[in-house]
Amino acid sequence: MTNANDVLSSLQSAFPGALTEPKVESEMRLWVAVDSKKIVDVCKFMRNKLGFDHYSGCAGVDWIAKKEFEVVEIMASHDTSNSVVAMLKVKTPRDKPSVPSLTGLFWNANWYEREAWEMFGINFEGHPELYPLILVDELVGSWPWRKDFKGYPDTTTGNRIVETVTNDGYLEYSVAPHPAEVEAGTVPKERPKYPSFREREERDIKSDSEMIMHLGPQHAMVPGPFLLDVLVEGERVKKAYLDIGYIHKGIEKIMENRTWLQGITYTDRMCYVASLTNNECYCGAVEKLLGLEVPLRAQYIRVILEELSRIQSHLIGAGEFLTLIAGVGFAPWQYMIIDREGIISLIESVTGARLTHTFVRFGGVRNDLPEGFADQCRKTLKYTEERTKEYIELFEQDPIYHMRMDNIGAIKPEDGKRMGAAGPVLRATGVDYDVRKIDPYLIYPELDFKVITGTKGDSADRIDVRLREILESIHIIEQCLDRIPEGPIRTEAKIPKKIPAGEAYYRVEDPRGEMGMYVISDGGDKPYRVKVRGPFYATFQTLTPLLEGMYLADVVATAGSMDGCPSEADR
Amino acid sequence: MGISDVIPVPAALDDELEKWTIWGRPIADVWFTTTENIHRIIEMGPIKNVLNWGRKNSVYFLMQPMGCCGVEMFVFGAAPYDSDRFGCIPRNTPRQTDVMIISGYITRKYLPVIKNLWEQMLEPKWVVAIGECAISGGPFYDSYNIIQNTADYFPIDVFVPGCPPRPEQFIEALTNLQDKIKQRKDNRRGY
Repeated sequence: MTNANDVLSSLQSAFPGALTEPKVESEMRLWVAVDSKKIVDVCKFMRNKLGFDHYSGCAGVDWIAKKEFEVVEIMASHDTSNSVVAMLKVKTPRDKPSVPSLTGLFWNANWYEREAWEMFGINFEGHPELYPLILVDELVGSWPWRKDFKGYPDTTTGNRIVETVTNDGYLEYSVAPHPAEVEAGTVPKERPKYPSFREREERDIKSDSEMIMHLGPQHAMVPGPFLLDVLVEGERVKKAYLDIGYIHKGIEKIMENRTWLQGITYTDRMCYVASLTNNECYCGAVEKLLGLEVPLRAQYIRVILEELSRIQSHLIGAGEFLTLIAGVGFAPWQYMIIDREGIISLIESVTGARLTHTFVRFGGVRNDLPEGFADQCRKTLKYTEERTKEYIELFEQDPIYHMRMDNIGAIKPEDGKRMGAAGPVLRATGVDYDVRKIDPYLIYPELDFKVITGTKGDSADRIDVRLREILESIHIIEQCLDRIPEGPIRTEAKIPKKIPAGEAYYRVEDPRGEMGMYVISDGGDKPYRVKVRGPFYATFQTLTPLLEGMYLADVVATAGSMDGCPSEADR
Repeated sequence: MGISDVIPVPAALDDELEKWTIWGRPIADVWFTTTENIHRIIEMGPIKNVLNWGRKNSVYFLMQPMGCCGVEMFVFGAAPYDSDRFGCIPRNTPRQTDVMIISGYITRKYLPVIKNLWEQMLEPKWVVAIGECAISGGPFYDSYNIIQNTADYFPIDVFVPGCPPRPEQFIEALTNLQDKIKQRKDNRRGY
């Protein structure tokens, strides 16, 4: 096992003088500030020599009092023997923020850096396409996640939507800035250039047989809007463009304006198909800041509910995929939704809500399991197990399904790692990466479960992995129900209103993959910064290169097999 | 316009016919009239009840999941709650739908899109706002990217509070809309 101390000492010997403020929190967390001139070399060294091949994203932090920005590069590894997460901080002055881009080293740094740029205005030197990803044009340039962003202006009423007719005769709509917004200075005067659809067409279309097609933003692929433009030549896709941000709510900014406890409700609404794991991730990070110990019974309750949540998420994911490959029709989707209702009502009997639970609390859970929960749970799970085995058998035996789906959208294991795919999409390629094993939390180390992997990494494999993970989750819950001890469900310690200053990075295994939250406290009653490293944000990025060279009919099937949640990608 | 302007009839008959009325209007208006007049008469007459009965029993809704409520909308359209019983069938394209369910937050980036979708729908059409976010911004009321007052942009007929509402509330919303259509109290534009 690699230790954070070893990593630090080997870094210090390789780059004397470049590292400052080293802090080893535990065996698995390392915080260190790196000179911005050396960051690319340090990351290269870590990737090539120390095996840190999993770039988990970067977080921008605005230290307005110190007049500097900080970009925190989160480095981890796909290797099971290395569970160290290194947080490398790069500091840059606030008046002219600029740091070197890591896109040359890590392909998936692209989106993370674009996000940091459009939210904070931090320039990334050497980034190939630094244009807006999430924000709408009129907000670009106002840098909304900076601490001096002038509030939340849009509380006005009245008809503000402006209709304009383009030269080609199309109607286009936009929201005009309100006079108050102009006065407050939130509307930028000069905006960075964004390639419009027409410009893109002129740039990329080479011959008469090519055209760009819109898929979305309203579509039936996943529960949430996103825009997928494909450049097709006949039936073949030559290039794909992805445009997200259609349901960007600015949760990370909103959480800075709510108390610590209120923040839990917002984690629910980040990915509404898997709210319990999101709760867990946020609460776990805050518990780390507080140094709280969660009582054993509460840990068991959390695991039971999170695994139930995983089951229902995988059911809806597999069901949706079936509606997309058509021909099969709506029948299997209906079956899976019926099965999901059983699980949902189990969760509801404990938490009181169907989707947005706000159930996990700092140092425990909100309430105990109701009477007779264990029996009801075993009964439902037995039924779900039978049904899931039936689905797996159905999929394995159906030759038409295999003719349709085999080798469609296949990812190689090394590509999956390089592009930063997460969760079942990565595991389907054969990489046994699961945070529950690598960076165990709660009582997972005591439980017996396998990491499900696929072999080919294609669309059929992804669905197969999801369905077999349902069986594994059922196995976990049954163990928990057998072993759950009596005791308190919340810690005895009093949770202070103001959380002591510090920072924590906590990661959990969401149904869609590795989810991490980076929480900073400045000692106040509100978080200073919450950065969410979403699993689907990571997986979403792999979609565009995957679609190239594919038939148009397979595009929807491949996008659907990712089991997307654009809400979590946009936040 | 009198009848004698169109067909050569004795002036006396013309005078006589002008006295005849149908629903308080001169019958000549009905016989030699414009499309708008016909529509106005249908609007007043009992034939409208027959049309509305047909409309209220086939409110197809647009499958347009936008937020948490979108997941509940899936379930509402699927077997456990079975919206088909009420004639509410999910469709994937706006050209085949009568009702747009705003099932979540409308962001600045999505507003132009949803406006476009609304215009692609054929009339008569209705909007239902589901969830706190669609009504007033909900928990995201102070976000820089969320449009707060959906009712300024769409003629909303039914508001359903909840975060998210249960699928039963979706059923209630659509049956409420059906009642409104039946009683001619809906906010429908055009014909």
